[in-house]
Amino acid sequence: MIKVPFGPQHPALKEPENFTFEIDGDIVVAVKPRIGYNHRGIEKAFEQRTYIQNLYLAERICGICSDAHTTCYTQAVESLLGVEAPPRARYIRVIVAELERIHSHSLWLGIAAHEIGFDTLFFYYWRDREVVMDLLESISGNRVHYAMNTIGGVRRDISPEKVSMIKKGLDFLEERMKRYIEMMKTDQTVLKRTEGVGVLKRRDAIDLCAVGPTLRASGVKNDVRADDPYAAYDEIPFNVVTHDGGDVLSRILVRCEEILESIEITRYALDHMPEGMTRVRVPMAVPPGETVSRVEAPRGELIHYAKSNGTARPERYKVRSPTLGNIPALCKMLIGCHVADIPIILAGIDPCFACMDRMTFIDLRNGDEWVWTMQELRRRYRND
Amino acid sequence: MTEHLLTLALRVLIYPGALFLIFLAFLYEWVDRKFLARVQNRYGPLYTGPSGILQPFADFLKLLSKEDIIPAAADRLLFNLTPIAYSTLPLVALLVIPIDGGEAVLAFDGDLIFVMFLLTLIVVTVFLAGLGSMSRFSIIGGVRAALQMLGYEIPMGLALIGPAVAAGSLSITDIVRWQSTGLRWLILLQPLGFAILVCCMLAELEYVPFDIPEAETEIVAGWRTEFSGRKLALIRLGKDLEVVLASALLASLYLGGAQPLYSLPGSITFLIKTVLVVLLFTFLRGVFARFRIDQMVSGMWRYMVPLAILQVILVEFGVGR
Repeated sequence: MIKVPFGPQHPALKEPENFTFEIDGDIVVAVKPRIGYNHRGIEKAFEQRTYIQNLYLAERICGICSDAHTTCYTQAVESLLGVEAPPRARYIRVIVAELERIHSHSLWLGIAAHEIGFDTLFFYYWRDREVVMDLLESISGNRVHYAMNTIGGVRRDISPEKVSMIKKGLDFLEERMKRYIEMMKTDQTVLKRTEGVGVLKRRDAIDLCAVGPTLRASGVKNDVRADDPYAAYDEIPFNVVTHDGGDVLSRILVRCEEILESIEITRYALDHMPEGMTRVRVPMAVPPGETVSRVEAPRGELIHYAKSNGTARPERYKVRSPTLGNIPALCKMLIGCHVADIPIILAGIDPCFACMDRMTFIDLRNGDEWVWTMQELRRRYRND
Repeated sequence: MTEHLLTLALRVLIYPGALFLIFLAFLYEWVDRKFLARVQNRYGPLYTGPSGILQPFADFLKLLSKEDIIPAAADRLLFNLTPIAYSTLPLVALLVIPIDGGEAVLAFDGDLIFVMFLLTLIVVTVFLAGLGSMSRFSIIGGVRAALQMLGYEIPMGLALIGPAVAAGSLSITDIVRWQSTGLRWLILLQPLGFAILVCCMLAELEYVPFDIPEAETEIVAGWRTEFSGRKLALIRLGKDLEVVLASALLASLYLGGAQPLYSLPGSITFLIKTVLVVLLFTFLRGVFARFRIDQMVSGMWRYMVPLAILQVILVEFGVGR
């Protein structure tokens, strides 16, 4: 029995995080995650800024699902303010969110291919991802941080010319994705590396509170878009994709088919977008209250909690990113796997560690708990 | 006598020996990189020389000038010697393969066995290099290389024996000569053996799907993780020479080797055939995912070994000779 540290610096991990594996021969028998290498003090930063400034901060929680975070943030603030985004804005939010899902899933599929040593597939996925990145850029002017959402609506409209352009891009993506699904299902080397690898049983997935595609790949029909519709999802028909395998192959197929589903949702939203304004004006100060907002980010259920005290700044802000929800399930699926399968299983939950790291201080001797103020955080990290 | 020695020295050192082979090694690395890039929808090397043809050489020069770090824990002797051994072994093996139409530089009876021995020795060098680095990734990489050899060594040996049995000689030069009389290319007579040898050479070269000893996402660069500077340059050169060796071996044993064809001299047909083999390797490594080590070894024993034995039995019964 040997202990093998994996991370914080490791080629399979794109962000610093540490896992200690106890290995018997070639089989993992125990996993100990150690999170917190990427703590950014982002919740504290929320409390220091006004609601408008926080829009930009929320955008930057994640570099991939930036739109999911702002959607969640604006929903929370809108519910505190008691306003609702106009119908057209809600459709535009759906369109951007689904395009972002396509881009995020394509990115993950490329990484998964790279983890199993299939670099050609990785390049092909990322080449096709450029199409959806270009679409997002044409809508918002940005490739990554779209800055589309604002409190009370969206900042840009989608013109009819753009609609036809997006549709053309979607047709291309649909055709490519169908080919990839066919390929993933039949390629023997891909099947060898993914089928029956990192199995998470349905019961375990529910018990360990897995979220998103990881949960759906274990056969649980759970999707915030369907269960607790936000934006315009209550008016758009779509299927929640599930697979029963619970292995890496199921996670791949769930994401591939979700891309197809996202393409359908975007098409429907583009066709049924109501006319009208895209935003309503809102006051700077937010009345006292607290709220929870949920969004189905590409990686799973994203939860934002906001507490306001009547000023222009939130009193407390909490972000629960989907990766945190998947860590216990990840530890479960790693047990019993081969050492060579660790990278693909780790990547299988589509981890985004920088979004996830939060911190609190606990004195183990007497159980005291406390958090740092922004000044203390600054002193620690900037030495000023 | 002096004239004979001088010719021999020229043949060993310049053409078709070391210098020419090193030139081929850089050329084939470029062919491989460029073609793999096109398979993967990329451009590949572009800037150094026309279409980036000088890029492998530029990389080699750059690495020569880089800092050479020896880890404190490393076994200095092994760490210093293995890169040299790794780059010279394929060079020596290449000297027994006929390249310029006539006889090989160092042709002798039983040189096929000698090549098999050297191919195994290369893997032993890799194992020692991993072990000598004393790094976690290197050791795992080295052990994986040795384990992998357990899988492919037997079918590779059998696939090399097929042509020898058909030609009735253990000399590569004689096997090439046998094939050139009446265009009896062994790929047509023993296609199974050719396919097996291609698979085993992919494993020997640590190419996808058998790049297990240097699996990037699992163990960084595997057994070569700790090497840098001059040593890494030598290792990369050794790898390129190994590619030349593998393609030369396949071309000589199964594709008729350096035989004059129509108006083309032997050396040109040899180059064409080896480039085709390199393109085959590159294409194959572009279209697979990486196997796990247990899958690789069990797959080799379950499918490749029986097929290789079947091929030898067929040859023994007169099919394909």
